[in-house]
Amino acid sequence: MSTFKVASVRFHTDNIIELSIDRNGIAFTPGDCVAISNADGISRPYSVCSGVDEPELRFVIRCMPGGVVSQWLAALKPEDDVEISPPFGWFRPGQSDEPGEPSVFFATGTGVAPFLSALRSHPELKPKMMLYGVRRREDAIALDYLEARTPLKLSVSGEDAADHHHGRISDRLNQIPMQENTHYYLCGLDAMIDEISEWLEQRDVHFTNIHREVFFNA
Amino acid sequence: MREKTDNHDWMITPEGEPRGYIDTHKLDELWFHTGTNCNLACPFCLEGSKPGDDRIKFIMPDEAGPFVHEAVEMGVQKFSFTGGEPFVNPHFVEILGYALDYRPCLVLTNGTEPLRNQFAEVAKLKQKPNPVSFRVSLDHPDPDKHDESRGKGNFRMALRTLGLLHQEGFSVSIARLMEPEEDAEGIDAGYIPFLEEAGLPHDMLIIKFPDFATPGTIPKVPQVTEHCMQTYTNEASRAAYMCSFSRMIVKKNGRCGVYACTLVDDDDEYDLADTLRDSFQVRIRFKHHRCYSCFAYGSSCSEGT
Repeated sequence: MSTFKVASVRFHTDNIIELSIDRNGIAFTPGDCVAISNADGISRPYSVCSGVDEPELRFVIRCMPGGVVSQWLAALKPEDDVEISPPFGWFRPGQSDEPGEPSVFFATGTGVAPFLSALRSHPELKPKMMLYGVRRREDAIALDYLEARTPLKLSVSGEDAADHHHGRISDRLNQIPMQENTHYYLCGLDAMIDEISEWLEQRDVHFTNIHREVFFNA
Repeated sequence: MREKTDNHDWMITPEGEPRGYIDTHKLDELWFHTGTNCNLACPFCLEGSKPGDDRIKFIMPDEAGPFVHEAVEMGVQKFSFTGGEPFVNPHFVEILGYALDYRPCLVLTNGTEPLRNQFAEVAKLKQKPNPVSFRVSLDHPDPDKHDESRGKGNFRMALRTLGLLHQEGFSVSIARLMEPEEDAEGIDAGYIPFLEEAGLPHDMLIIKFPDFATPGTIPKVPQVTEHCMQTYTNEASRAAYMCSFSRMIVKKNGRCGVYACTLVDDDDEYDLADTLRDSFQVRIRFKHHRCYSCFAYGSSCSEGT
């Protein structure tokens, strides 16, 4: 663990923050997480959402009710210290071994973070489709950016949202590209990931083309 | 043979008796600790591994290579890898591939996303001159009990990974937790329906581990003395202790050290030397509480060679 300075804490909604910390030259690969510790040394992993060329490391974090780390992070101020681990990860959105292979992104909630990092780091990255699910319209992170960079299909499960699908991203699976060498990248809560993985495998998508990053609520 | 330290506590039990010891004469197996970073945070983990943990750092290819060469010169039969979750180390597949150029390998894994997301690379290791086998953790034959510590859905995922590895032609085994006073055969039989479901053979090797306690804890266990070794062991049983035939490479604070076995990396008195050959000059005392587990239960992380 190393100590870094908080640059800012911005409330995206009442329970989603964007935490920015001074990068100090730390290198990472889009899709990486770092573990961030609270003052008691309890840590949770969070995915980086910023690009590799940005001067700060940024994270979008859902503040869980009673969350011992997320609530502590939400109370930080600029210049406060945070302890973070070196970046690590195995989820590499849009980075399959064969350059140019098509990709489809699935994200729910703050699971959008690694996709944002990949898109911000690789201007040439053009997924065939991005399905993004949130509970409330205001929970959607960087919506304008995602609409500009991807064929985005936003689903809002908890309320009616004009111009967007009211429901879950899994309602729209019959719209996704099913070209043979497509890679599917899924990040979010386990129920969504399991459901969509199973759906894809039932349609003969090989499991090595299904890339998963499970976020746990803790 | 020399003592690692002249600390009284290293050589003598609190009751004043000489501790039991092992002098190593052969290197059959070399373990590499890939780092304590893990995608899971199991409360019982003997390594205390969790996401982002860096008590033991990621080992790098240029650090592992010289130990591979030295071990081969010393007649090693096998390389084994444990973590953390080895596949969280971004250099692991490269290190494993390198080791497979020289000897068969064993990998301990939780069989979840880090491995699954690199499966295409892992499958290519079938082309190597030596085989790799995988031991996947399935703590209990009850998915709910497994998932209680490892996260919802992870029993099914690990089971599925076992099946996929087997289908690819890799040798696989299961690691499970040992219960106190357990009916071992009954528990092992509980896996059979799941093995059938995953297309795995019924007679799969199931390695059982007792509760080793988390790093840094000091459970009260009996001391293993020289008298114990003379009374309860013989040459053959002493040869089965891991410290009799193996070593583990552990990276801490930017340096790789040779540790006595896979279970004592939280005690730097077991950091024997900088090289494998030098580690053979050091007498290994049964001081660590996990030495008692080894003594009492015959625990071994190995599968034979």
